[in-house]
Amino acid sequence: MDNRDANIDLLFRNGLKDYEVLPPVEVWNNIYPVVRKKQRPVLLLRSAALVAVLLSISFLIYRWGHEVSTSSENPFIAVRDQSNKSRDNASTAGMDKAVPVRSVQKGNNQTSLLPDESDSGALSGYSDPESMNLNPLAETGNLQSDYNLIKPEELTAIRDFKPLANISITPDFKGLEGISYEDTKAKIDRWSIMAMASPTYYLSSVTGSDGMARQINSSEQSQLSYSGGLAFAYKINKRLSIQSGLYYSSMGQEVDGINSFAGFRPYDYTKGDHNFEVITSNGVIYTNNTDVFLLDRSGNRVLTRYTNDVFDPDKAHLSFINSSLHQNFSYLEMPVILRYKFIDKLIDFNLIGGLSYNLLVNNSVTTIMDGNRYKVGTTGLNQFMISSSLGMGLEYSLSNKFSLNFEPTFRYYLNPFGEAYGLKAHPFSFGVFSGLSYKF
Amino acid sequence: MPEIKNIIKGCLAGSRRDQELLYRRHAAKLYAVCLQYSGNDDEARDILQDGFIKIFENLIHYKHEGSFEGWMRRIVVNTALEKYRSKHNLHRVDDIDLIPEQDADPETEDYAGLEAVDLLDIIRELPPKYRMVFNLFAIEGYSHKEISQMFNISEGTSKSNLSRARIILQKKVNLYTRLNKNVVSG
Repeated sequence: MDNRDANIDLLFRNGLKDYEVLPPVEVWNNIYPVVRKKQRPVLLLRSAALVAVLLSISFLIYRWGHEVSTSSENPFIAVRDQSNKSRDNASTAGMDKAVPVRSVQKGNNQTSLLPDESDSGALSGYSDPESMNLNPLAETGNLQSDYNLIKPEELTAIRDFKPLANISITPDFKGLEGISYEDTKAKIDRWSIMAMASPTYYLSSVTGSDGMARQINSSEQSQLSYSGGLAFAYKINKRLSIQSGLYYSSMGQEVDGINSFAGFRPYDYTKGDHNFEVITSNGVIYTNNTDVFLLDRSGNRVLTRYTNDVFDPDKAHLSFINSSLHQNFSYLEMPVILRYKFIDKLIDFNLIGGLSYNLLVNNSVTTIMDGNRYKVGTTGLNQFMISSSLGMGLEYSLSNKFSLNFEPTFRYYLNPFGEAYGLKAHPFSFGVFSGLSYKF
Repeated sequence: MPEIKNIIKGCLAGSRRDQELLYRRHAAKLYAVCLQYSGNDDEARDILQDGFIKIFENLIHYKHEGSFEGWMRRIVVNTALEKYRSKHNLHRVDDIDLIPEQDADPETEDYAGLEAVDLLDIIRELPPKYRMVFNLFAIEGYSHKEISQMFNISEGTSKSNLSRARIILQKKVNLYTRLNKNVVSG
């Protein structure tokens, strides 16, 4: 009995060991959308995390810049160290609140600008500034700065300060002779040139409630794109500047669910411009490679005369290449941007907005097999595009001439990339530009 | 042909091409497993579909230790178990001694002519509870203790179900073999 049991177990174990049955085609078509949907939140979460990090960094930088500038603007009052000491001895017992002040110490021979018990007689009659000797430059041999504390009573004394009468003041302009007026006048660098680059995330969603719109939106995913170039800016006034230049932007997206096969050329009996059209949010893809056969098993985005009842790629033994197409297109951009500096600190904050004129310079549709790209065709794209952009720029001055720029920018395209049989697409992109600028 | 490590890497990066490549490479073998655990094709399709979704979701946890195919097979088998548990309950069988041992026919123990497709048909004709226990014990190599924990039944019930499954299978195998012999001789 045991042997027979073992035999029957072995019979099934060995008999079914390497057995294979091809599953129906629709199984994969049901799996992929679920897997992709579950991946999307991850992408969204990553984007949200990136935005959160950028905002946090911006906020911290702003706070830091703000604190630095605030602390440097603390008011200080110049008082003589010695006078403070004598005042402390006389009346500071029990004082617990004090105001920071700055004193000028001049060796042992000091002149207080505060009324002092011992100086009160001399201070009381002050009225003629010319008779008062206020020539600090003449006696700067042993000057040193110091910060001391002044008490609230002393502030009252300062408020009650009366002009000195018996002190002769002789202005000394010798020290000023070497200072050129031109040097002291702040020189404004109105022009600047900047080199900027950014990875951009591009999205184009089709509106509409019909099945085609849903099909398109669920099957297209953006590829990470990039943008970069040179720009010139002219400072109109302290806060406002205008900027233009030349940028190169490369964008693209992956269109899923379109199976491509190689080896179709012998079966192509037509002499038309293209055998297949694929409807996408960016416009219609037109094939120009006659060796490629396209098939949309899960939808009806592919328009062709070689429909399934006319030609079956499986029966013709065409080689399967891939199930997605890659749309790539590049534009030369000429932006006209206004930037308004709303915080002018160690790190400047700018509000950026404007329009860009885009000229199409590259347009290709490819499919990938074993890491190699094969050209399939082109997309019917508009030659000219206009986009609006809005962003926030952070500018950190490295020196008087150089500064680092960091600009998260949102861009919305005012016209669609291409026409797609009545479907309306609203492309937009988000990029974080960073670069270096030089003022002159 | 890309290595499985690269395909897994691509899948983890969200590459549709690699996901499809992984599916195409292993779907046929795993679908046979699904058929083995299910009574009808619809159920098998559901198991394969849910199993692959779990495979893609859990790829990040795969440690590259042991056979990747074995790892995927375990996921698919677990999916089949979950499906089964949601639909059926294994019942305790206490009357194993009542089953006559002579049901098995010794003269037809030469199983010549039986193909994998026949074996699959035979196993799928089993009542679900017997099919599950037989698959887990005889094909996957689980012990009765493990099976009893999987279904929250006693080890005795697991053993009873296995015995019944074996008897039914033996009968069917004999029948198939006899039919095959008749076809050949006829």
